[in-house]
Amino acid sequence: MTLIHEKIERDKNAKMIARDVSVYYGSKKAIDEVSIDISPNYVTAFIGPSGCGKSTFLRCFNRMNDTIPVAKVTGHIELEGEDIHSDAMDVVQLRARVGMVFQKPNPFPKSIYDNIAYGPKIHGLGEKKADLDVIVERSLTRAGLWEEVKDRLEDSGTALSGGQQQRLCIARAIAVDPEVILMDEPASALDPIATAKIEELIDELSGRYAIVIVTHSMQQAARVSQRTAFFHLGKMVEYGPTSDIFTNPIEERTKDYITGRYG
Amino acid sequence: MADHTVKAFDEDITRLRGLIAEMGGLAEVAIQDSLEAMIRGDEELGNRVVASDRRIDALESEVDKLAVRIIALRAPMADDLREVIAALKIAGVVERIGDYSKNIAKRVGMIEGRDRFEPLTLLPAMGELAGEMVHDVLTAYAARDPSLAREVISTDAKVDAFYNSIFRNLVSHMVENPATISSAAQLLFIARNLERIGDHATNVAEMVHFAATGSYPPEGDR
Repeated sequence: MTLIHEKIERDKNAKMIARDVSVYYGSKKAIDEVSIDISPNYVTAFIGPSGCGKSTFLRCFNRMNDTIPVAKVTGHIELEGEDIHSDAMDVVQLRARVGMVFQKPNPFPKSIYDNIAYGPKIHGLGEKKADLDVIVERSLTRAGLWEEVKDRLEDSGTALSGGQQQRLCIARAIAVDPEVILMDEPASALDPIATAKIEELIDELSGRYAIVIVTHSMQQAARVSQRTAFFHLGKMVEYGPTSDIFTNPIEERTKDYITGRYG
Repeated sequence: MADHTVKAFDEDITRLRGLIAEMGGLAEVAIQDSLEAMIRGDEELGNRVVASDRRIDALESEVDKLAVRIIALRAPMADDLREVIAALKIAGVVERIGDYSKNIAKRVGMIEGRDRFEPLTLLPAMGELAGEMVHDVLTAYAARDPSLAREVISTDAKVDAFYNSIFRNLVSHMVENPATISSAAQLLFIARNLERIGDHATNVAEMVHFAATGSYPPEGDR
């Protein structure tokens, strides 16, 4: 059972809802009946020790666990009222609507321009070069990268610095006009300045997109999110407003973890 | 409470709590000694209270430095964070309590005709009560005990009652015998200082409650 803070009300604007979601790797239960709403009104952070299941749970929202043969997901997840596991759901389409950014920046070994234009092209969002130009500029601008790369769009994406590559990946996710962006440790491989830029970006993007971030850095969760869920041994232990979770958590396990007393 | 994975963090917190305890102990002794000095007209003891206040001031600045260091280096969260913030504020308040005792001690030589004033029998009792509040609130701090903190808060009303009765008494002295006005005014300031000590102990109690529970005591208790 999850301890949900009183201040958490049901959000009518929730983009995604997860109900009693469990994930098994073979016979091992990695996530145990977790329910949560994901809203564009705030950034949601998942925190918890390694192996607690937070990344596994994050990957449920765009069915990335489908790519793991032994993984089995049960329970119910909706995106805008649609069951994401229904036969009618196109997984490629789902992953465009629910984008993902990973721990290590993973730009395509192509030009900066093509890194952004590829998604819109295959999703039929930009037929003409002029349309794609607009999308590329808009996406890079929103990702805070435009000024740094506008004169070198034909350079390889992999030639950028780590922090720039990560913002390129965020721009790439934005390019297909997603509704939700999932971020799995998006800044853990970056230096503090690049991390600050990513965090500033998350702040700017929230409101427009529903953002869920998994992070090992509790300071980061405290800085960027308005809702925090603490996971432990596959269970969502406590879920509440970030400021309450970090100043006055209710569950002993949450307190021990965030004050550095865990284990 | 379980230990932190990083042992040095525990050592820092323990040291912080130790500094507060030491400050509180000195403040408690200062209240007793300043009243003792005042009753007996012992100016030498009064001077010692004045001197010992410097130690309290020095401890306060040590608490400040350590708290800032802990926040900067350890990034405390949840009850740790509340504990450090509370320590920072409590140190400031205990320093004020020390100042009030110092102020009482400084008035020792200014009171004449000690045996004429009835409040001189009431003041020690009032001082004892205020000192008890300081003592109890520091015990509550050490034990992270919110219910003892609430008891301290409720004691403040008694200190206030003492103050009101001493006030009336001294005013009637002044009315009846204008020659006593100067000494009576000194005693009034002393009573006022003790009343303020009670208020400050109440503030500390609220912070202890906050550090322990994350919320301030209910309004009815204050």
